[in-house]
Amino acid sequence: MKKFIALFLAALMLVSFAACDSSDDAKADFKVGAIYINSKNDTAGYTFAHHSGITEAMEQLGLDVEKQLFIVDEVPEDKERVLAAIDTLVGQGVDIIFGISFGYIDAMEEAATKYPDVIFSHGTGYKSNETNFNNYFGRAYQARYLSGIAAGLKSLETGNNNVGYVAAYGTEYAETASGINGFALGVQAVNPDAKVYVKKLGAWADEVNESAFAKELINSFGCGIIAQHCDSAQPQIAAQGANVFGCGYNSDMTPDAPKAHLTAAIWNWDVYYKTAMETAMGCEASEFVTKMGTPAYYGGLKENFVDVSPLSENCVAGTEDAIKKVRELIVKGEWDVFSGVKLSVTVADGVATVTKADADLKDNAGNVIVAAGGASVEDGVITGTMNYYVAGVQEA
Amino acid sequence: MRFHIVKRDNGPFWQRCCYYVVAVVAALAVGAIILASIGVNPFEYYYKMFTMGTVGNKIAYKTFMNYLKEFVPLVLTSVALSLAFKMRFWNIGGEGQFIMGAIASAWVAFQFGAYLPMAVTLIFMCLAAMLAAGIYGLVVGALKVKFGTNETLMTLMLNYVALYVLYFIGETKADWNFFLQADSARPVFESFAEIAQFPSFSLGGKFELNITVILTVIIGVLVFFYLKYTKQGYEIGVVGDSANTAKYAGMKVNKIVLRTVFLSAALIGLASAFKVGTSGVLSTSVTNDVGWTGIIVAWLAKLSTPMIFVVSMLICVLQHGSTVAAVSFSQVDSSFANMLQGVILFLVLVADFFVRFRIVRVKKGGND
Repeated sequence: MKKFIALFLAALMLVSFAACDSSDDAKADFKVGAIYINSKNDTAGYTFAHHSGITEAMEQLGLDVEKQLFIVDEVPEDKERVLAAIDTLVGQGVDIIFGISFGYIDAMEEAATKYPDVIFSHGTGYKSNETNFNNYFGRAYQARYLSGIAAGLKSLETGNNNVGYVAAYGTEYAETASGINGFALGVQAVNPDAKVYVKKLGAWADEVNESAFAKELINSFGCGIIAQHCDSAQPQIAAQGANVFGCGYNSDMTPDAPKAHLTAAIWNWDVYYKTAMETAMGCEASEFVTKMGTPAYYGGLKENFVDVSPLSENCVAGTEDAIKKVRELIVKGEWDVFSGVKLSVTVADGVATVTKADADLKDNAGNVIVAAGGASVEDGVITGTMNYYVAGVQEA
Repeated sequence: MRFHIVKRDNGPFWQRCCYYVVAVVAALAVGAIILASIGVNPFEYYYKMFTMGTVGNKIAYKTFMNYLKEFVPLVLTSVALSLAFKMRFWNIGGEGQFIMGAIASAWVAFQFGAYLPMAVTLIFMCLAAMLAAGIYGLVVGALKVKFGTNETLMTLMLNYVALYVLYFIGETKADWNFFLQADSARPVFESFAEIAQFPSFSLGGKFELNITVILTVIIGVLVFFYLKYTKQGYEIGVVGDSANTAKYAGMKVNKIVLRTVFLSAALIGLASAFKVGTSGVLSTSVTNDVGWTGIIVAWLAKLSTPMIFVVSMLICVLQHGSTVAAVSFSQVDSSFANMLQGVILFLVLVADFFVRFRIVRVKKGGND
């Protein structure tokens, strides 16, 4: 009997080792492909943020970035060029391809049909299929709401109700409109009298105008805080130069403008990339979308996909507590930004009080978007069709 | 100690070849040093580059197909530019003419593609592109002939006019703008691949040869004969060498200039029709810089049509191969290809200098 048990255990061990082996193999054979709009050697900006996210995720999963990551970079939004880049990556035998730029959308859709054995994952897009093609984006508006709280408290302290916002675009894109609105509602939760002035660049990155527009908002519109939706830290640097304050975007901009910066709305791209790679390693390409649970990954504060950077010393006492309490409401799913419930945040002696009250969510022309007490607008609106500013926002 | 530059008699063909080979090898050596300094094994990199990553690649045929997609617009644009350059008309406007041609052919595809048979649509696309690009070039030719304007500046600046027209079309969501997808919230170019696309033929296996490749070779042969054996081709050369001589010989110089500029620009338009007719979609980077690279190719090939084909092939290997090689080296981004191309061009031009001249040391007091 003992012999039998020993044999049985040995067999079990063998089987389990074999199992370990195969999963290790899957890991060692796993190849990640990526298509970037700018250089993979960038040291700041959009491509840099994604590249850092992908490499961090790979390190967390124990994948070798040198050997298992294949990148075609500086690929413009040209369907033929994107398809050629995909051919190159598939030729290298990659299992999953991340495309980070919106304009890759049609090429990725076509390639997903052409290469059913490869997973296609498209950042900022909206197309998908039921098997090997998904898209991913995040609730940046939630992070912006939190940064808006920091800005609102600062505006109360300085007594200046004018807040400036240097934006790539305005209502043309839901992405920028939802960001501006999320930020403005955060400011108003603290300071109901605050006005947000938006200045549009007409480009996602334009360092010269990012600085010039921030200065104009400060000088001509008397703004005491400069928020931004653009690539560089120029607006924050301009704010520091004029002795006012600001909220950055994409990365912690406190080192760029230590005397001005409060906090930045940031992305933790590695959160998604890790989830996607983990899922991809454990399934066939055709099961990817099913295993991910959704063809459109849309993570927020809850998933830690978006966040605010550590608060700087410029923030008003109690900011930390206020942000913590609002974050809790969002993470627990008790409240969301674009709903018929308005938060009021007050701070006394460094302790924040957050109260909820039913109120219409109105656009800046006075139209009711969500009636008092109503549920949040749908995700599809936030990502696709939000083409208005909320009350208190106007273009400068 | 002083140096003098002395013109050299034309050496034998193999000697000239040697200079160029040395130049390319030297350029690759410079590249190798840079590669090694950032921790990349240059041999590995160059191996991947020259094989374009096809070794051990399951879909290597795709690499060749994508390679040809880059090759066709470049070689045709370069051949077209060489026509103008032979006449000493500095057409730097390849980019702009290409863009105008691309917009025109896309316009035809959207307007008529749904009603006409595909073959007819494709022919109309080519004609529209040739006309649009041709006129865009002809304007500059006419201004030069009429008012003596500088064609280098004019064509150069019109590139940016065309580029911003394309940006405007590509970024303006509006009811009139049929170039963009109607159902996308963000501006994205609409595809017309289903109603107008140049066909490909399978050559056994999975490799498919696009008809534009064959047409391009035919056009290359035609241009070669046009320049070498026709009266018009001869006139281009004479006007290029000396407009006054041409006048003295009774040639109508203005007419020759206008005709040649139109032909040059129209052929660039045809290249753009081939490009968008293959991809089936416009894009703001539709030119892939062929208007610029084409100039380099034309000069490296010394304006010889067969050599333009050879040089284009090599430049495309360099461009396409570098992209593919850069994929597996994390330190190297695709800008490296551009830099290497610059180094090669520079050193080939240096070699070219030494083919034509030699430097002689002059001793003090000696007479030269």
